[in-house]
Amino acid sequence: MKFSTRELVTLGVFGALWGAVELSFGSILHVMKVPMAGVILTAIGLAIAMIGRLFVCRPGATLFIGLIAALLKLFSLGGVVIWPLLGIVIEALLAEVVLSALRKPSQGAFTMAGAVGVLWTFVHPFVMHGLIMGSGILTVWLRTLDQGSQVLGIDPSAVLWLILALIGLRLGIGAAAGLLAWSVGRSVYARLGRPER
Amino acid sequence: MSTEGRSAEPVRRLVGTMGRLVVFFWSISLLLIAPPNWIPLAVGTWLGVAVLLHPAALRVPFRRRWILLFGFLIVANIFWVGELDWNLWGLAVSSEGLLIGLQMVLRAVVVLVAVEGFSNSVDIAEVAGLLERFGLEGLGFSMGVAVNLLPFLRQSSLNAWRSLRMKGGLRRQRWRGLRLLLVNIIGNALCRADEVVLSAEARAFSPDRSRIIPLEIGAFDWLILTVGLSSLLALILVR
Repeated sequence: MKFSTRELVTLGVFGALWGAVELSFGSILHVMKVPMAGVILTAIGLAIAMIGRLFVCRPGATLFIGLIAALLKLFSLGGVVIWPLLGIVIEALLAEVVLSALRKPSQGAFTMAGAVGVLWTFVHPFVMHGLIMGSGILTVWLRTLDQGSQVLGIDPSAVLWLILALIGLRLGIGAAAGLLAWSVGRSVYARLGRPER
Repeated sequence: MSTEGRSAEPVRRLVGTMGRLVVFFWSISLLLIAPPNWIPLAVGTWLGVAVLLHPAALRVPFRRRWILLFGFLIVANIFWVGELDWNLWGLAVSSEGLLIGLQMVLRAVVVLVAVEGFSNSVDIAEVAGLLERFGLEGLGFSMGVAVNLLPFLRQSSLNAWRSLRMKGGLRRQRWRGLRLLLVNIIGNALCRADEVVLSAEARAFSPDRSRIIPLEIGAFDWLILTVGLSSLLALILVR
């Protein structure tokens, strides 16, 4: 990853935007105990990172933006930040893999990258809390079902439907974030008087 | 030379940039890994290290704005978090909220002192140099840009939000209004980025020409690294 001065500054700007969302909006969502706050934050963050990818269209750019946002998250004053921090890096990495694999930025690539990145929020608690922190996969599984049934209003005994709904919801939100990123990114391009992608 | 500089001078020869960086990450990791009931012990241990390495930075949490913020954190938690199971001068408050608030304040104090002490004793160029060594060329520069842009982004976003609301942009077509808000914030940030690029290029900055800055290695750096890593590992295993 070798970027020019302009690219580095642009990546810094988008990293700061994602970081600012995490530090301000993220704290508000967590204090208000909004359900699926992590999913909302990831979707917004990834949308910002993908808009950044439109402006620095090179492999590694999305991951770089995620790394800056994660480092900024360290300045968060309250609560434990190491797991969200790792989450940000992994989500950016997943989006990066999809965007790099599909090479040319397109609406489809953004939609897929957003969906894959946001889907990590489903896997994250199992890996971080279940495996690394030692809460146990079963505990996390039961907590996921419980929270899912509260948010979606589905009976916890309908496990398969509940899990499918939770995954589908994340894929939908991620895809919407990708579409938003594509649309906003092109509008910003037009507003700054640059040729459209 | 500042008081911090004089008091830290003999230590500086013993603890180099790497040692200070290890202490910085150790301080933050200690709080992240320690379970809530271990926080006082972790803070006590960290305080001993901070007195040795960053005595001047310990004054920072006593500044008025931080005291106000800490007070707000505690007040917000005792009234809004957990069950109101305690009576304090006739007011129903939450003991769980008080504990959470105190933990947040302790964490905030450690982060503040660690950041202040580290930034006072280590040149940011050295940190950038360290990051570049891990193959992330330019990350230090981008981080610097990001940190400096945060206040601008906050103000610019607030201005955009206020002007959108004053023009009634959210009464109808809310989705379009929010989309325009995003376009506005990102557009402004990119215009600011242009100024930063011009400024950096005017100073002849180029990532290609930036050399890797040599790191100051102190006599105790490896010892600090070993002790720091082992203590964190022990904490992970014990918790």
